[in-house]
Amino acid sequence: MSDVKIVRVPLASTPRRAGVWLVVCALLSSLAPHVRAADNARQIVEESQQRTQAASQRYEGVLQVFDAKGKVSDKRWMLERLGSHGASRMVLRFTQPAEVKGVALLVVNHPDRASDQWMWTPAIERDRRIALQDRSTRFFGTDFSFEDLEERDVDQYDYALLGDDSLDGVAMWKIQSTPRQGKSSQYTTSTVWIRKDNYACARIENLVKDQVVRRLNYLDIQNVQGIWTAKQLEMTDVKRNSRTRLTLDKLQYNVPMKEDDFTLQAIRRQ
Amino acid sequence: MMLLRLISWPYFRKHILRTLLTTAGIVLGVAVFVGMHTANQSVLFAFNHTVDQIAGKTELQITAGETGFNEEVLETVQGAATVAVAVPAIEAVVDTGIAGAGSLLVLGTDMTGDRSLRDYDLEEGDDAVIDDPLVFLAQADSLILTKLFADAHGIATGSQLALGTAMGERRFTVRGIMASSGLASAFGGNLAVMDIYAAQKMFGRGRTFDRIDLSVREGRTIAEAQTELRTLLGPGFQVDAPANRGQQFEAMTAAYGMMINISSLFALFIGMFIIYNAFSIAVTQRRSEIGILRALGATRGQIRALFLGESAITGLVGSAAGVLVGLVLARGIAVTIGALMRDVYGVAQRADDIASDPLVLVGALLIGVTTSIIAALIPARQAAAVDPVQALQKGKYQVLSAGESRVRAVAAVVLAAISVACLFTSQSRLVFYVGYALVVVMVLLLGPLLSLGLSRLLRPVLRFMRPVEGALAADSLIQTPRRTSASVAAVMLSLALVVAFGGMARASYDSIIVWMDGALNPDLFIAPSQDIVIRTLRFPPEMAGELEQIDGIARVQAVRNARIVYRGTPVMIVATDTLSLSETVHATPVAGDPSTMWRETHEGRGVILSDNLAELQRLTLGDLFEIDAPHGVIRVPIVGVVVDYSDQQGTILMDRTLFEHYWHDDTINVFRVYLQPWAQVPDVKARVLERYAGQRQVFVLTNRELKDYILRVTDQWFSLSSVQIAVAVLVAILGIVNTLTVSITDRRRELGVLQAVGGLRAQIRRTIWMEALTIGLLGLILGLAFGAVNLYYILQIVHHDIAGMRLDYVFPYRVALYLIPTMLGSAFVAALWPAESAVRGSLVEALEYE
Amino acid sequence: MIVLDRVSKQFAGKRQVTALHEVSLTINKGDMVSIVGPSGSGKSTLLNLVGGLDRPSSGAVHIDGEALAGLTDDGLTRVRRDKIGFIFQFFNLLPTLSSLENVGLPLHLRGWSRSKVDARSRELLQLVQLGQRLTHLPEELSGGERQRVAIARALSIYPPILLADEPTGNLDSRTGAEILALIQDLHTRLGSTVVIVTHDMTVAERCSRTIALKDGHVVEDVRR
Repeated sequence: MSDVKIVRVPLASTPRRAGVWLVVCALLSSLAPHVRAADNARQIVEESQQRTQAASQRYEGVLQVFDAKGKVSDKRWMLERLGSHGASRMVLRFTQPAEVKGVALLVVNHPDRASDQWMWTPAIERDRRIALQDRSTRFFGTDFSFEDLEERDVDQYDYALLGDDSLDGVAMWKIQSTPRQGKSSQYTTSTVWIRKDNYACARIENLVKDQVVRRLNYLDIQNVQGIWTAKQLEMTDVKRNSRTRLTLDKLQYNVPMKEDDFTLQAIRRQ
Repeated sequence: MMLLRLISWPYFRKHILRTLLTTAGIVLGVAVFVGMHTANQSVLFAFNHTVDQIAGKTELQITAGETGFNEEVLETVQGAATVAVAVPAIEAVVDTGIAGAGSLLVLGTDMTGDRSLRDYDLEEGDDAVIDDPLVFLAQADSLILTKLFADAHGIATGSQLALGTAMGERRFTVRGIMASSGLASAFGGNLAVMDIYAAQKMFGRGRTFDRIDLSVREGRTIAEAQTELRTLLGPGFQVDAPANRGQQFEAMTAAYGMMINISSLFALFIGMFIIYNAFSIAVTQRRSEIGILRALGATRGQIRALFLGESAITGLVGSAAGVLVGLVLARGIAVTIGALMRDVYGVAQRADDIASDPLVLVGALLIGVTTSIIAALIPARQAAAVDPVQALQKGKYQVLSAGESRVRAVAAVVLAAISVACLFTSQSRLVFYVGYALVVVMVLLLGPLLSLGLSRLLRPVLRFMRPVEGALAADSLIQTPRRTSASVAAVMLSLALVVAFGGMARASYDSIIVWMDGALNPDLFIAPSQDIVIRTLRFPPEMAGELEQIDGIARVQAVRNARIVYRGTPVMIVATDTLSLSETVHATPVAGDPSTMWRETHEGRGVILSDNLAELQRLTLGDLFEIDAPHGVIRVPIVGVVVDYSDQQGTILMDRTLFEHYWHDDTINVFRVYLQPWAQVPDVKARVLERYAGQRQVFVLTNRELKDYILRVTDQWFSLSSVQIAVAVLVAILGIVNTLTVSITDRRRELGVLQAVGGLRAQIRRTIWMEALTIGLLGLILGLAFGAVNLYYILQIVHHDIAGMRLDYVFPYRVALYLIPTMLGSAFVAALWPAESAVRGSLVEALEYE
Repeated sequence: MIVLDRVSKQFAGKRQVTALHEVSLTINKGDMVSIVGPSGSGKSTLLNLVGGLDRPSSGAVHIDGEALAGLTDDGLTRVRRDKIGFIFQFFNLLPTLSSLENVGLPLHLRGWSRSKVDARSRELLQLVQLGQRLTHLPEELSGGERQRVAIARALSIYPPILLADEPTGNLDSRTGAEILALIQDLHTRLGSTVVIVTHDMTVAERCSRTIALKDGHVVEDVRR
């Protein structure tokens, strides 16, 4: 979710397809030179991904869940990500409220297969693997699923340009991404909206069969250290009619980080 | 059918009381049968229900006995091509500290993961059970309760609940409530769900799971999945449908089922005699009526059909009533059986509802009716054989003909010879049981002859005691050998049952006490759970060292015991430091060289089996013993056989190093602790408790307490059989009442004469009492004699087919001694009412009666 | 002395039957009285009331001045024990007991010692001329012999009153005559009051007094 505008932010990159997208979106044009216009869906995605490329990322997330009855719950976490696109590693550590402080999630993304995910719960001093079979379940009562936390490589999907569109008066490409054979996902396809002006990803709709089940909106897209990043992500679970808003505070790119801090041993340490 | 209405109904109505008594025999017999089986079934059903509800949509379960296995197995299973979803589970039974709540079954499951296998009925739509899943996972004290349990004990979300964990009593916070259906209905609603990793910690499980539940990938069959998983995991794992656990539970409790069946069989037999007796009497009394019917043109077939029809109806009515009574009884019995299952087998189960298996009910009806009809076969034949001319005359017709007696005697001798031959000529169990059956038949054949003979012998004695009352009481018995012998036989059978079970119980206690004195000699036993048989909580291995540091403790033996599956039967592994054990336990092995077997076991070069396991599985010293473990197959010779009654299905004693190697499990169930000579048991116990206060849940049992516990469980084991036997005796006593009511009718004139010539009521009563006491006495003599034989057979069955226990044959003199006053007292009580009715009524009518 | 004062007896049932209708009678000590009448006239009922086997619906029965009405069942039995011997039409011997035992029965019931019972029983059987039939069972005896045993039993305590219900009714006439002679002989020798119910006029005629009943009323009272 966090993946904010730039896509690569881990969370955001999420749904595999979606995730990819996110990343992609952000890219937009940085590579622009040979980008031959947007009529090639795959290239748009690649461009979007390119533009969000960063060595690392850190932010403090504020997570707000609004359920169907309007109940709101707030949590905060600190997220660090090392590397981007495909081979990134990410550690997410809850900081608030007190009951969940210290719970951490380590995601190790792989370009060619599903990510590895581990969770650490300090109260019982245990880590646990989030099994592949469990990736479609909800991420701790939010409207994200574990799968939505993954970052995937462009190459894991096929793309089709569905046409041009506009959201809030901004011109967009509307692209369909479908997981390739052998890629397991809870979603059948995803529809991604990428801004034509800066290649930032603006919306992803995840579908099961032809029903939209989750919708992710990228809001408050700002340029942070040269990367167009959404400072707010809003995921809606269409069926449950609840939404989760993730706000990115203190977002920084290219912060020095150590590889060692992105291991199971490391998350156990704190 | 017209005959039934015209002839039988008026007779039943006229003898309503006797009809009721006869029916009562069937009612009781069927009620006990239905009660026992339904209760047993209910417990089994509840167990299966719990398994089912917890299993949810689980298609296969992976277990390694009850030892559990390393959690890495999960990834292997999840990686299998045929597996769709695989989730780990552990279960623990804990005390709640709420008075009257009983224990709680805690299901530990992966709360981050997929919930598609189980039906967590969330109270308010989707995920609302858990307010905040992240908080639930983050806090180790998170618990989900069922609505049923929560409502019953006034618990709401956010409430705290104290549970006994491996780390002592811990307060848990209720963070979710499941609506009471599906999963929440398992274990009678006394179910809690918590995160499996928190559960591992709370229950001292290390990094192990009890089992993995899985569903099979779409397009693959369960069989394919089984094959793949068995190959992936190796033979130390069981990959079975959840229902299989019910079968194992059944296998484990098979001994109990067998006991119930044997005593049910006897109860039924006794019931049969009561019916036989009633019908025999009816035929005799209705002789002239039969004669008239025959004279009016009824065929023999019609007469036979008349009596068989009557017995069928009696059987049906009695059985139906018995089924109803049985269902009522079942509820109470189920509680007892549930407690027994927990205490004997460590399988906690609550049967809050009665599961009446239609098969059992229909079976009971059938058995009741069939028994009734079989019992009436001979009387019906006699009725059909009534000669119309003779029937209308007066005469003696109850007497056994000399020819019949001779035939009986000869047949009995032949049967005796065959049954003895069965004992000595063949090892086959079938032949053995045939021999047993023949003995029973022989006894039944001899019964009338013996009771007649004994009555004759007793007459002078009785006459000496009371010249009139005594002589007449004896004469009444002698004159009607059929009536007498049937009720004597009923008493005899019931007493034979008492003697056999009493003897078996006595011998079991004796053996258990000898075993306990030899093997259970530590001063203290330290366990993580109040019930020493419940192994769902465990200690970490380092505790052994900690205990050794405690002042006054000389020696600590860490024991891990766990039930595994051996040749499809659940048996118990006892893993401990066998060398240390050999230094403290002084019992002569049944087989094996005590100077080498312990060392060989200690070095992992052998295992020692319990005598009962060797017997039940037909294993002997030197055989290669193979056990499939999660981490390989153990193949070692049997180096010793010892007496051990830790488990009914048998125990395998091995060194703990061997167990750890093959199970990767170093947890401990119980510490056997020996004290320094100078140390005081209460002091050390206090120090142990103090050492672990607030850290671990530790229960310290003294030697005496453990032994008392074992004896209490043994008591429980025998308690239900005792109830059943008591009912059998009661039925036999009803038989005496029945016989006496007939006797006083037959003797009405005689009793009238007695009063006319100056007999006081007290004297009349006395003759009835004496008759009853004599029946009781005959039953006692024959019952104790047959009991002596029966005991032999029961011990053989126990040894070879039930528990493998080698029990010494000792006639239970004490039981016999108790039986004498009990039986005579009961006979006396049985006579009270008939005696009263004998002194009432018109003397004039009695004198004219004929 | 036996006194009946306005004694009535009804039998309850679907139809209430009055067997005796306010009968008043006095039978003196040492009398030998016969009671005759057709079946259903109430003669057996009368005998049963006198013997305390049954209780009147109204009226009073006195035996030697003692009112039976106030007695319990056991009280009635005690009156029989001390004062009354019964002889029945069907003998009512106990089939499993020998002659000796049958005769000894009342004495045993009275708690006599074995030797006394044995001596008295032998004496009585001698008296009825069955001294050689001591150990025979009733079924081994002829009808007359059985009735003699019954008479011996009735006499066991030499009761002051002997009640006989059709003592010859089940015997052929020759045997009946013998039995009657025996009773008469005993009456004379022992001086007992004897009441015989019979429908046989030859029997009745040998008694000093004959009371005839019909439909519960005394219709004739003849003293000879």
